[in-house]
Amino acid sequence: MSNVIVNRVKEFLKRFPPFTFLNDATLGLVAKEVEVKYFAKDEFLFRQGDAAQNFFFVLKEGIVQLAEYREGREKVVEVCDEGDVFGVLALLGKRPYILNAQAKEDSLVYAVPVGIFEKILEENSRVSLYFAAGFASGQVVVRSDLSQSQKARSEFKELSKDNGLMIFSGQSDLNFSTDVLCCLAGKSIGEAAKAMSEKGVGSVIIVDESKYPLGIITDKDIRNKVVAQGLSYDTLVEKIMTNPVITKSKDAGFSDLYLTMIKNRLHHLIFTEDGSSQSPVTGILSDHDILLSQGNSPAVLINALMNTWDIHEMAKVRNRAELLLKYYLENEVAMDFVANIISEINDIIIQRAIQIAKSKHDPDFPKASKVKFCFLSLGSEGREEQLLRTDLDNAIVYEDVAPGQEEEVQKYMLLIAEEVIETLLICGFQPCPADMMANNPKWCQPLSKWKHYFSDWIISPNQKALLHATIFFDFRPVFGHKTLADAMTDHIYQEITGKTIFLNFLAKNALLNPAPLGFFRNFIVERTGEHRDKFDIKLRAMMPLADIARILVLSHKIVGINNTFKRFEKLAELEPNHQELMLEAGKAYEILMRMRAIEGMRSDSGGRYLQPEVLGKLQRQLLKNTFAPIDELQKIMRVRFQLDYFTN
Amino acid sequence: MGWLDFFTGKKISKSPFVKEYEALFEKKTPKLRPISQLKFVVLDTETTGLDTKKDYIVSFGAIKLKGYSIQIQETFETYLDAPIQNTNSVKVHEILYPIEISPLKDFASDLLRYVGSDIIVGHHIGFDLAMINKILKSFGLKELLNPMIDTKALAIRLENGPHYDPRMGKRGEYSLDSLCERYGIPLDDRHTAAGDAFLTAQLMMKLLKLAEQKGIKNFGELMG
Repeated sequence: MSNVIVNRVKEFLKRFPPFTFLNDATLGLVAKEVEVKYFAKDEFLFRQGDAAQNFFFVLKEGIVQLAEYREGREKVVEVCDEGDVFGVLALLGKRPYILNAQAKEDSLVYAVPVGIFEKILEENSRVSLYFAAGFASGQVVVRSDLSQSQKARSEFKELSKDNGLMIFSGQSDLNFSTDVLCCLAGKSIGEAAKAMSEKGVGSVIIVDESKYPLGIITDKDIRNKVVAQGLSYDTLVEKIMTNPVITKSKDAGFSDLYLTMIKNRLHHLIFTEDGSSQSPVTGILSDHDILLSQGNSPAVLINALMNTWDIHEMAKVRNRAELLLKYYLENEVAMDFVANIISEINDIIIQRAIQIAKSKHDPDFPKASKVKFCFLSLGSEGREEQLLRTDLDNAIVYEDVAPGQEEEVQKYMLLIAEEVIETLLICGFQPCPADMMANNPKWCQPLSKWKHYFSDWIISPNQKALLHATIFFDFRPVFGHKTLADAMTDHIYQEITGKTIFLNFLAKNALLNPAPLGFFRNFIVERTGEHRDKFDIKLRAMMPLADIARILVLSHKIVGINNTFKRFEKLAELEPNHQELMLEAGKAYEILMRMRAIEGMRSDSGGRYLQPEVLGKLQRQLLKNTFAPIDELQKIMRVRFQLDYFTN
Repeated sequence: MGWLDFFTGKKISKSPFVKEYEALFEKKTPKLRPISQLKFVVLDTETTGLDTKKDYIVSFGAIKLKGYSIQIQETFETYLDAPIQNTNSVKVHEILYPIEISPLKDFASDLLRYVGSDIIVGHHIGFDLAMINKILKSFGLKELLNPMIDTKALAIRLENGPHYDPRMGKRGEYSLDSLCERYGIPLDDRHTAAGDAFLTAQLMMKLLKLAEQKGIKNFGELMG
C-alpha cells in the first residue's frame, strides 16, 4: 500500500466532519479503506430504488445533486459540495436508496465502506451523536455547516409534509399485522409454542392481564434458549422472553419506526395504543414486512429483470437479489426455496443476455444463427446450488452441421458466448480460473464432439478426465434446445452401461478427501498456505457430498435431478435401507450451503474458508454434525465400489 | 551459470516468478470487453536522471483502476536505493549483493505479481518502462508483456484525432501538469512516484470517460 496516497486521502478527510472528530490513527484506518470513484457529468451515483451500496460517499471534487423523482417530476433535495457526506441512511438501514444522486459536474468521490464506519460509530460517541442529530432532523446530507444546509434546503424545496426523513418511502405501502398472537405471562413455553404453531407465526408477545406487552418470544428463542439448552417445556415464558420490549404507536412515522428497529437491531417492533409499554398491544411490525414494502420480493425482482434489456439495470437487480439472499439466510428460509429463487434469477440473466447477443449478431450470421444450440450451466450453477456469485462454469452445445459450415458456426457461437460471459461479469460473477466457460472454443462444440468428450472421459478416466467429469456431468440446459442436452444425458448413460469401471474410478476420486474429522474429532484445518488454520468447507465437506451424490445418481441412472440435496432425497427413496443416512446427508448439504453463503457475505468472498474459532459454539456443533454422514457414506462407497481392492 | 552458456548464447535463466507472470498471457483479453470491466495499473517512477542507461529507479508507485474506481488499499509504493552495477550484482549502501538476494528481486517479483496481465498506464510511459525493463532483464524477462497505454498519447488522440502530429502543438502542452490543469485535477504535492501515479490515475479516468463519449467503448477500440 502506498503511504503517500493514504496520507493524501487522510489530509482531505481531516478537514470535514465527522472525520474531524477522529484521531490520526483511526483516520488512517479509514483512509486505507477508501475507494476513489469517478463519475462524469450527468452520470448517476445511485438511483432511487437501487440496493444500498456497501459504502457511503464523501464528495472530493465536483457537484452531486440529490433529487427525488415523483409523479414524473424531479425535485431537488440537496446539492452537495466538496466535503459533504451522503448516502449514509440507506446504508445504515440496508435498504434501497430513495433519492437519485447525479453528478452535475465531473466528480471525484471517496467511498467509505460501511464496515469501518460502523466500527467508528461504536467507538466514537461524538461521531455517532453527530450522525444521529443530523438524521433525526431530517438531513440527507452531512454538512460541515448546519446552518448552511438549512439554507440550502429551503432554497430548493418548499416546506411540505414530507419533511421527515426524505429518503424513506411513504408509509402507505407498509403492511403490518394487527392480528397479533399474545400469550399471558405465567404460561409454559410448551403452551406458547403450541399456540405459535397453530397460528403458523414465528413470534408471540407475552402480555399481562390488561394486554400490556411484557416481552416477546421468537422461533429463535425457542431454539437457542430452550431446545439447545435442554430447558424443560414447562418453564414459564417469562424465563426466556426478551424484555423490555420496544413499543411505538402505529401512527408514528415510518422513518421513526424504521430507525428504531435499525438502532436497536430489532426484528420485531410492537405497536401499542398510545405507543408506550403501559398500553394494550395493537399490532406488530417485522423486518420482513419492511423488506416487502421495499420491493425486494422475488416476484418484484424477476419482474424487473423481465422488463429490461439494459445490462446495467440487470446488474442492479442482481445486487438487490443479494439483499434478499442475505435476508433469507439470516432467517433460515428453506434452502431449496432459496437456491431455486437465486438460480431462477441467474437463469433469467443468462437468457436475457443470450437474447441481447443474438439480436446483435444474428444479422451478420444469417445461416449460423439458425443452427440449434443449447447454453449449459455447469458445476454448482448446473446443480442450482450457486448462491454467491462465485466462478462461472458453462458451455454451449450445438447441433452437428455440414463440414463446410463448421468454422462459421463455431465463430458465431463463440461470439454469443463471449457476450453472455461479459454480461455475467458485469452482473458481478467471477470468471472460471480454469476457463471452463462457453467462450473457450474447447467448450463450445457440436453435439458429436461433446459425445466424443464424454466417451473419452468415461473410457480413459485419468485424473484430468475425472476432474472434468465432476464439473461437466452436472450440466443443466438454461437456454435453447433442451433436446441437445437430453441427447448428451442419453449418451452418457449409454456409455456408462458397459463400463462400470468408470464409476469405480469416480468413486475413488470422491474419497480422496476423507471426512474432515481429526483424531479427537476436531476440525481438520488447512496446514499451510494463505488459508492456514482455516477450514475449507468446499473441499472438505461439500465436494465429498456432491461427488458421492453424483456417483450414486449415475449408478441408479436417474435423470433430471441436479441439486445435491434433492439427489439425496431421491436416493433415500431408492435405497430404503439407507434412507435415514441419505436424508441426513441432504440436510447436511443444505446446512453447509447456508454456512458457506453466510461466510461469503460476511467476508465478501467465495465463503470457502471458515475460521472454526470464529464460529459460535452452536454453529461449530452444527458443522461437525454434518461430517458424520460424510464418513458413513464414504464407508458405503468403499464397499460398494470395492475400492479397497482397487488401485490404479 | 556455467561456462557453456558463453557458447550456447543462453541468457540469464528465468526466475520462477517470471514464468508465473508469462503464463498469465496465454489467454487474451476479449476485444469486446467494455472499458468499465477492464483492469488497469497506473504507474510512475522517480529516477536519478533521464538516461535510461546510467540512471536508476529511486521510487515506484502504482495504482489499480477498474470500473472508474480506485481502491486505496490496492495501491503500491516502494523505495529503491539500488543502482545496478552489472547484471549480476547490485550495490546497495556501498555493499555488493548477488542479484538473487538483492532488494531488486523482491521488487521485480512484487511488481510482476501486482501488474499481472492488466493494462499498464502511465504518463510518458516509455521512459518508465525502459527503466523497469532494465531491472526485469536481470531475472530473465526481456520486457513487460502487458498492453500499454500512454496517457499523453491518449490525450493527444482524444483531443486531436489519431493523425495529429504532436510536434505541431505548443511545447509542454501535454505534460502531466498542464493536462491535470486542463482536466481540473488539483495538483497536490507533485514528484513522488505514488503521488504522480495517483494524479495520472485520475487523469486516466477522465480520459476514459471522454473516450467512451467519442465512441471508444471496448478493449479493441481503446488499444486500436
